Amino acid sequence: MISTPARGAAALRASAQGRRRPDFVARHHGPFFISPALLALIALIGYPLIYTAWLSVTDDRGNYVGFDNFNEILDDRVTALAIRNTIVYVGWSVFFQVLLGTAAAILLNQRFPGRGFVRSALLVPWIVPAIVAATTWAWMMHTEFGIVNYILVEAGAIAEPIGWLTNRDTVMPALIAVNVWKMFPFVALMVLAGLQAVPETLYEAARVDGANLWQEIRFVMLPQLRLVLASVTLILTIWGFNGITIIYTMTRGGPANRSLITPIQIFKQAFEFLRFGEAAALSVMLFAFLALLTLAYLRLFRAASED
Amino acid sequence: MRMRGTLGLQVLAGVLVAASLFPFAWMALSSIKTLRELYTVPPSWIPAAPTLSNYVKVLLESNIPRYFLNSVVIAAGATLIALVFAIPAAYGFARFNFRGKRFWQASILAGQMLPTAAIIVPLFIVLRYLGLLNTYAGLILVYMILTLPLCVWMLVGYLRAIPVELEEAAIIDGASRFVVLRRIVFPLALPGIVAVMVYSFVTAWNEFIFALCFALDSRVKTLPIGLAEFSTEFNTDWGAVMAASMIMTLPIVLMFLVMQRVFVNGLMSGATKG
Repeated sequence: MISTPARGAAALRASAQGRRRPDFVARHHGPFFISPALLALIALIGYPLIYTAWLSVTDDRGNYVGFDNFNEILDDRVTALAIRNTIVYVGWSVFFQVLLGTAAAILLNQRFPGRGFVRSALLVPWIVPAIVAATTWAWMMHTEFGIVNYILVEAGAIAEPIGWLTNRDTVMPALIAVNVWKMFPFVALMVLAGLQAVPETLYEAARVDGANLWQEIRFVMLPQLRLVLASVTLILTIWGFNGITIIYTMTRGGPANRSLITPIQIFKQAFEFLRFGEAAALSVMLFAFLALLTLAYLRLFRAASED
Repeated sequence: MRMRGTLGLQVLAGVLVAASLFPFAWMALSSIKTLRELYTVPPSWIPAAPTLSNYVKVLLESNIPRYFLNSVVIAAGATLIALVFAIPAAYGFARFNFRGKRFWQASILAGQMLPTAAIIVPLFIVLRYLGLLNTYAGLILVYMILTLPLCVWMLVGYLRAIPVELEEAAIIDGASRFVVLRRIVFPLALPGIVAVMVYSFVTAWNEFIFALCFALDSRVKTLPIGLAEFSTEFNTDWGAVMAASMIMTLPIVLMFLVMQRVFVNGLMSGATKG
């Protein structure tokens, strides 16, 4: 390789700055490269968001109506029910996703024969399209011919078949179970990556002190995983509030609105009742809430990348 | 390394594998059962008379083949156009420092978490106004909302991992930034670009809500809508639904297998050591 003084100097500078890229070109190059994508995103996302805000304070003819749409949608008894359903659905989903995902990751971090196969198999729920997962689970939870009822009755866990998706009291737990099944592999992946960054010396130190597996988890792994767990929890929460596919496919919010969550209510207000203003008002509130969560996530992300 | 109660671990791992794979396996088994066998109590584990009739029905008597084609066109379109915008943007983020960089990068990350429900109403109105409802172009445009932030975000990571020395050498030799991007960065980043393409394609392929709102005509409806159509009817044909589910899932699984191979190709190590 031919080495010129200039090249050597540039390489020196590059290595001195480590991963930070050197300023060996004009500063305006960066904005030049990113501006097409940014303009596209502003047109595709920024504009609709502003439009939503405008729709939320106008009526069908485009007249300004102040907060009428907000008052109307908040007075609707379904709205409160949907908010409560959403919190129940997201809260329990995230709780079990994190619990099960972390347990799976700790298991996969141990050495045992066949670990590679287990890792690949674990990804299947995550890879399968949400609509396919929802459809398949709907079939498995079929009241008469579903395999779930058959297994549970045979095992003696339940006396007679349950209409999982048609019974008011079982519909939410059933949907949460499907959501947990779909997303816990994601948690397992993230936590496993976090666990593999834990220095081996920490485990050795714990073992010298005579720690058992539970103590190792409690005092070695979990403290090291704090940031990973926090960001995974936040992102799952954000995704949970966005998630329509599973519930819409399996129950459409029924029976009797027992599984109606806010995103589905927005969809129904807009495309079934054609009340765009109220749908927009609900959208604005959902967006404001999720924007706060996203801001928290960005904070965490920055903290993580500066670590 | 740690070895603790290997048998216990394997039992737990077995439960985990069974829980992860069972629905997929049940879908595959159901798709080759006759309707009569599907509707028997107790359900049979292994199909007594395996049949491809469900697949024949889905492929010859339903709109699924057309929806499959629509899905391919829309997912590929949304991915390729997103890449055209995303590759320069990712290069800009990975290689340059400029004012507001952190803010824009954070915006891209936030763009991936956008609640889609919050913008379906204005998108519907705008698409209707532009005459883009029920068109490939309209859906491709809408899907870029999902694929563009994703592609930029993932590509920045891949481009950062490429050593800057090769580019510096080319620039000192008088190459322009575009030549560098096309001749050096693009080939080196190709494995990463392919991985991003697959991920973006799968995201668009699986999307449901936008398709439900903006594709109301069978000429542009996508596979997820096709599945939902089977299920909405009063008497669902579960055999056909499971066969259609298999048809929708297999390309995705294959793509992930292919992607694994792409990751394995350690193209980078060869390029810098030479």
